[in-house]
Amino acid sequence: MVDAAMTGLRSTGVDSAKLKRMNSFRVGDATFRGLTFGAALLVLLLLGGVIISLIHGSIPAFSAFGLDFLTTQSWNPVTEKFGALAPIYGTIVTSIIALVVAVPVGIGIAIFLTELCPPVLKRPIGVAIELLAGIPSIIYGIWGLFVFAPFFQTEIQPVLIDIFGNIPGLSSVFAGPPYGIGVLTAGFILAIMVLPFITSITRDVFDTVPAVLKEATYGLGCTTGEVVTKVVLPYSRVGVIGGIMLGLGRALGETMAVTFVIGNAHKISASIMAPGTTISASIANEFTEAVGDLYTSSLIALGLILFVITFIVLACARLMLMRMNAKAGN
Amino acid sequence: MTQTATTQNGLAEKVSIRNLKFFYGQNLALKSINLPLYEKKVTAFIGPSGCGKSTLLRILNRMYDLYPKQHAEGEVLFDGGNILNPGQDLNLLRARIGMVFQKPTPFPMSIYDNIAFGVRLYENLGKAEMDARVESALTRAALWNEVKNKLTASGLSLSGGQQQRLCIARTIAVRPEVVLMDEPCSALDPISTAKIEELIDELTADYTIAIVTHNMQQAARVSDYTAFMYLGELIEFDETQKIFTAPSDKRTQDYITGRFG
Repeated sequence: MVDAAMTGLRSTGVDSAKLKRMNSFRVGDATFRGLTFGAALLVLLLLGGVIISLIHGSIPAFSAFGLDFLTTQSWNPVTEKFGALAPIYGTIVTSIIALVVAVPVGIGIAIFLTELCPPVLKRPIGVAIELLAGIPSIIYGIWGLFVFAPFFQTEIQPVLIDIFGNIPGLSSVFAGPPYGIGVLTAGFILAIMVLPFITSITRDVFDTVPAVLKEATYGLGCTTGEVVTKVVLPYSRVGVIGGIMLGLGRALGETMAVTFVIGNAHKISASIMAPGTTISASIANEFTEAVGDLYTSSLIALGLILFVITFIVLACARLMLMRMNAKAGN
Repeated sequence: MTQTATTQNGLAEKVSIRNLKFFYGQNLALKSINLPLYEKKVTAFIGPSGCGKSTLLRILNRMYDLYPKQHAEGEVLFDGGNILNPGQDLNLLRARIGMVFQKPTPFPMSIYDNIAFGVRLYENLGKAEMDARVESALTRAALWNEVKNKLTASGLSLSGGQQQRLCIARTIAVRPEVVLMDEPCSALDPISTAKIEELIDELTADYTIAIVTHNMQQAARVSDYTAFMYLGELIEFDETQKIFTAPSDKRTQDYITGRFG
């Protein structure tokens, strides 16, 4: 009896210890779930907070100018007449120039690195690209202003003006004088800055193409060019577009380097060699001088517009990827 | 057509492998292989993993050229010419010697384009001719009835067995002279395997086939000749029936009876 009671007690003792531990696990699990959920919630709160303060801050500007704010070019702190068209135009045009230059070059580098590069060169070139991505934007800014812009002014711009000067339509796009700084220069600096992102992401996604798939393509008698265009690019297009969009996102928001070389003129010129401005460059340049609520509010409104543009770009990218996937039947 | 060697048994050698050595970097993976592939016959390569069967197969269309540290020595005569010559046009060679891989490798495009893609590289066919070519390739690969109503669907939407038959159709659509198969059924279920084995049987009417397989019954079922390889050496090559009933080497016997490997 005693023995049985003892064992009974002992066994319940063991059980209750187990139960205790189970309970403490349960508490631990719940705490963990709560913490991670909280972290996820924090992102939403931060995003919401940013949006709300941008909208709240830009209310005075929009109530003063209405939607004309988006379509007016004038930016006059003295008379307090503000319009966002010039910075919006500058932002979009510099980003387009950057992508036009950086996408072919970046994809070209990635193709070379994954398909054609002798093994000895693979690492040095790869490392150089990573380092290019690590250079702070302020350095691109001073390099752009002191080295690249003068070079551009004396060597490249006169040539461009000569080449396109006689072609109707393009002659006004590449109209002189060669200032050195301007929208085109900013676009080129941006191209250099986004190049490493586009290159390293496209290289990584090219590397995900299975070797056996490439062998199968070569096995039909394809050349490297055909393998890349017909199989590697289609297979990895989602990732390539992702890399391009990431580059675009960076180009749209880049501030420091652009501020240095764009000339900061609140006007839209037909020529892409003329000085211009971008949204982020305007904000960075003028925030400290913004006296008066309407001025400050107009700058915040610019920020809101940049936010919306970036959002639209990412949404378009998503939509495109979804359509392409549907077409490919995945 | 250049001269083709003919042996004492009256069969034409489509491919003749002579004193073939193969290196992965410094490692000798194949030691002086001598082997014929007879025209319009199926030759099976069997042997334990790592014995060099796949390596041998990948030499026949110079696939190893994609990898810088691999090289081959010796001779592989294909219709009399040595394909190991540095001057060999690889694209042309691979169009004449097609390959089917262990895993299905459909291209990221429609079923129709998967077949038409390779054909377009070498031939300029009109729409009707191309349609006919695609249909005949898919029919021969026993896939036409399953896909004829969805030729525009992605090749990736097919099941594994269908994908593999698509790859075979793609290979034969180019009308190669030799088809290399590297364990074409190892990722497939028994029904798909049976279909592909039937297909191999039919293909011998037009093609010379070399197949690597781990499945001894498969080798016995589909091949006319069998080569048994072990540790980078060719141990025995003979008619399949002889290899499986009365092998002359003890190691061959041990392997086919399952004593090792």
